[in-house]
Amino acid sequence: MTDTTAVLGYAWPLVVSPGEEVAFHLSSATLEGAEATLLRVRCADPDPDGPGLRFHQPGTPLDGPVALRHQPLRPGSCALIPDAPALNRPGALSVAAFIHPTAPGTGPQTLLSRWRDDTAEGWRLALDAEARLEFTLGAQGRLWRVTAPRPVLEREWIFVGACYDPAQGRITVFQSSLDAQAGRDTGGMASAEAPREIAWPADTALVIAAHALEAGAAPRTAGHFDGKIDRPRLLSAARDEAALRALAESLTPSPAEPDLVGAWDFSREMSTDIIRDLSANRLDGRLRQMPMRAATGANWDGRTVQWTEAPELYGAIHFHSDDMHDAGWSPDLRLTIPEDWRSGFYALRLRARQGGEDPVESFVAFFVRAPLGRPRAKLAFVASTATFLAYANSALRLDQVHAEAMLEGLIALSRDDVYLQEHRELGLSTYDTHSDGSGWCYSTAKRPILNMRPRGATFNYGNDTHILDWLEQIGQDYDIVTDDDIHRHGAQTLAPYRCVITGSHPEYFSRSMIEAFDAYQRGGGRHIYLGGNGFYWRIGWHPTEPHAMEIRRGMIGLRTWEGEPGENALSFTGEPSGLWRASGRPPQRLVGVGFDAQVFTRSYPYEWREPARDPRIAWAVEGIDLDAPLGDFGLRGGGAAGLEVDRVEPTLGSPPHLLWLATADRLDYGGVPTLEELRTLHRGTMGDQNAQVRADIAFFPTARGGAVFSTGSIAWACALSHNGYENSVSRLTGNVLRRFLDPAPFEGFDL
Amino acid sequence: MLVNHPEAAHWPVDPSRLDLVEEFRRKPRGPHSDELQKLLHRMRWSGVGRRHVLVVLEPNRRWMLARMPGRRGAPVETFPNQVFTSLAEAEWAVFALRWEALTGQTLAPSRTTP
Repeated sequence: MTDTTAVLGYAWPLVVSPGEEVAFHLSSATLEGAEATLLRVRCADPDPDGPGLRFHQPGTPLDGPVALRHQPLRPGSCALIPDAPALNRPGALSVAAFIHPTAPGTGPQTLLSRWRDDTAEGWRLALDAEARLEFTLGAQGRLWRVTAPRPVLEREWIFVGACYDPAQGRITVFQSSLDAQAGRDTGGMASAEAPREIAWPADTALVIAAHALEAGAAPRTAGHFDGKIDRPRLLSAARDEAALRALAESLTPSPAEPDLVGAWDFSREMSTDIIRDLSANRLDGRLRQMPMRAATGANWDGRTVQWTEAPELYGAIHFHSDDMHDAGWSPDLRLTIPEDWRSGFYALRLRARQGGEDPVESFVAFFVRAPLGRPRAKLAFVASTATFLAYANSALRLDQVHAEAMLEGLIALSRDDVYLQEHRELGLSTYDTHSDGSGWCYSTAKRPILNMRPRGATFNYGNDTHILDWLEQIGQDYDIVTDDDIHRHGAQTLAPYRCVITGSHPEYFSRSMIEAFDAYQRGGGRHIYLGGNGFYWRIGWHPTEPHAMEIRRGMIGLRTWEGEPGENALSFTGEPSGLWRASGRPPQRLVGVGFDAQVFTRSYPYEWREPARDPRIAWAVEGIDLDAPLGDFGLRGGGAAGLEVDRVEPTLGSPPHLLWLATADRLDYGGVPTLEELRTLHRGTMGDQNAQVRADIAFFPTARGGAVFSTGSIAWACALSHNGYENSVSRLTGNVLRRFLDPAPFEGFDL
Repeated sequence: MLVNHPEAAHWPVDPSRLDLVEEFRRKPRGPHSDELQKLLHRMRWSGVGRRHVLVVLEPNRRWMLARMPGRRGAPVETFPNQVFTSLAEAEWAVFALRWEALTGQTLAPSRTTP
C-alpha cells in the first residue's frame, strides 16, 4: 500500500509561466528526506484497468534528494490588531459585542482579548467550556474571573459585554438575548472582585475570536471562537450594559468620544483581510485564515439578501476554529521554469522508503500555463482550477452520511481519505461543513490539496488527465490555460486558439470566466466540452489574493450544505452566487446542454438520434456505426454516459441551430434528477420512469464560424482509452477535434 | 448547514425475506428489484452497524474492510484480516454484517460467500 501522505506540500504559485519561479513548500512529520523528481503529468489515475500513471520527466536541477522538516498547520481564524498606545491605557475598561455562537460548549472560546497565554496576563472575554460568558483579568501570577449564570444558546444572537471598574474593585459580565422569549432568553449578569489597579502586558496584540499565546504583533493564537461577531466595542472606562448596548447598536459611534478605544465595523472593505476601526485611534486590524465575511449581523432584518445594498446589516464576520487558507510553510525547493517548457499539468514527485512494505510516493501539483498572447498550439485544454479548488480536500464521503446512498455502493477510501479523516487541519473543500456545521465558502491553494494530484481521488483532476493522455496518444499538440487566467484576462486567454477543450467537470465559473467563453464562441472560437455538470455554479475569485475562490451555495442547486438566509452574495465581489441558471446564464445557453441528473449505479452507452445522420455533421460520425451503441464501455461504471450528466433543454437556452446527436435516456432507477429540475412533487421522477434524466451529445455552430460540441457526461473522458484508444468515443472525439481545428466554416446552418 | 437524517430511514426489514438476500448475493452491484433497493437504502442511509467502508490497498484491485469512527478527527477503524479482491465480494460481506445488525439473524454459512 503506497503511502501518499508521509510528506505533503503545496506549490506557490499554483500556476506559473515559463520563465517564472515556482516554490515547493513541503513538510513531513516522519521523514528526514525524500527523492524529488519533477514530472509533467500525462495520466494521474493509477487504475490498472486504464492507462495507469504516466509521466514525462523533463530533468531539472531539483531532481534528487531533498531534506524534509515538519512544518505544522495552525488552523483557526481571528482578527489581529497589533499593540498600540491606546490599548495600554491604564485602569478601567469595557468591552462589548453582538455574538452568534455556532458551537458553544465544545471548549473554551475567546471572543475578544488582549491576553498573552504564556504569562497569563491581560484581559479576555470568552465563552467557557460550558458556554457561559466569562471575563478574566490576569497579572503578576494572579487571575480574577467572573462567569455569567447561564450558558449562551447555539445560533442565537446575544449581546455580551464586560467591564473592569478599578475604582470599585469589580469586574462584571452581562448578556442580553436578542430574542428573549419562548425559551431563548439566557440574559443575566454577574460581578466579582477585582484589583484596584492592574498592569496590562506590553507588546500584546488585541485579538478578536481567539487569544494570543505570546507577545508580539503576529502571535500564535488559541481559543478560537466558532460563530459570528458583530460590532465589537472597546472603551477605557467602566460603563454599564445599557451604555455599551447603545454604543454597539450605533453604526457610527462618535469618534470624538474620548473613552472610545476601538469600534470595529466589519462591513467595510468586505473583500479584503482588513478590518476598520471607526474610533479616533484607527486601530485597524488584519484577518488571519480568511474567516467568512459578508455575514448577516445582529441587525439583519431581511429587507435585503444582498450585502452590497445595505452593508450596515452585514457587520458580522463568521469565524471558524478550523478555517485554513494559508499554511504559511517556508519553501524547501525552488525552480525557475525553463522558457522552452510546454505548458501542462506538472507535479513534484516525492519518494521515500522505496522497496519497503510501505513505500512513500506523494505528489505536489502545479500548472505551467501558456503565457498570455504566446500560444504554442492551436488547441488549448482548460485546467479547471476553480473546480479543483472547490473540491480541494473534500471530506464529503467521510462526513456526509448520505454519501453511500448517493454513490450507490460501498465507499472506498484512499490513503489520502484516511489521512484527511484524522487531519482536518488541512482545511476542507467547499463541499464540506466546518466543525460548527456551517459550509466552507472559500478555498485556496496555499495548503496541501490531497485530491488535486496524481494518485489522488480521480474525480476532476484525475479524470481530466485522461483527456491529456488521449491527446498525447493521438499526437495532438495542446497548450494549457487555467481558470485563474481565464478569469483574470478574460476572452483574450482563449482567443488565440482555434479550439478549446473543457474537461470532465468544469463546474465552477466566475462571471468573467463565463463571459470569456461566451465571447470566444461568438467570435468564431470552437469549444469542445467533454464533461458533465459544467458551467453550473457562480463563483468569485479574490480580487488580489491568487488562487482563492468563493462560493455561496444558496437555496437551490445540488448542494451539500445550504447557505444561511441573506448570506448568499459573494464577499469577494458583491455578486450573487448560487447557480448560473439562477443568474440568467444556464449552461444550455453556452454549451447546448446542462446538468440534469447524477447516476452512480453504473454508466450507460448513448444511442444515436436521427440528426446524427444529417449530412452537415457527417464529419463527426465518420467511421462510426450509428446503429451500434456509443460508449458501452469505460472506466467509470462501464459506460461513457454517467456520474453527472447534462441534457439538451430549449427552455433553458439550447439554441435553435443545435443538432441533438445522441442520448442516453435509459438511466434506470439510479438516475436521480437534480433538485432544480423538480418544481412540483410527484413520484416517478427517477431515470427508470423519466426520460428527462439523461445525457445528451449536441453540436451547434456559433457566429463567425465558431462551434460548440458537448458530450454531457463526466464519465466520457474515462472511456477514451478503452481498447487501446480504438473505440467509438475516441473516434467521435477525434473527428470533432480534427474538424474544429480546421478553420473552414460550418455550412448549411443559415447563419 | 448540512442536515442529514440517517435515523429517518425506516423501511421495515422483514427477516424472513431471504429471497432479497439471495438476490443481493447473486448481483451485489445491481440492478436490483424495487424491494431490494429499499432494503439497501435502509442499510446505506441509516449506517446500521456503524458505517462500514473500504480502504483501498491497491487501486481497483484490493480493498480492506474498515469502519468510520463517527467523529471527525478520529482514526478510521480498519480490519486488516478482511481483505477483498473484488468490490462484489466486499459488498456482500458488508451486506451480511448489516443484515445481522438489522434482523439479529446471522446468514447461514452457505450464504456468506458470494
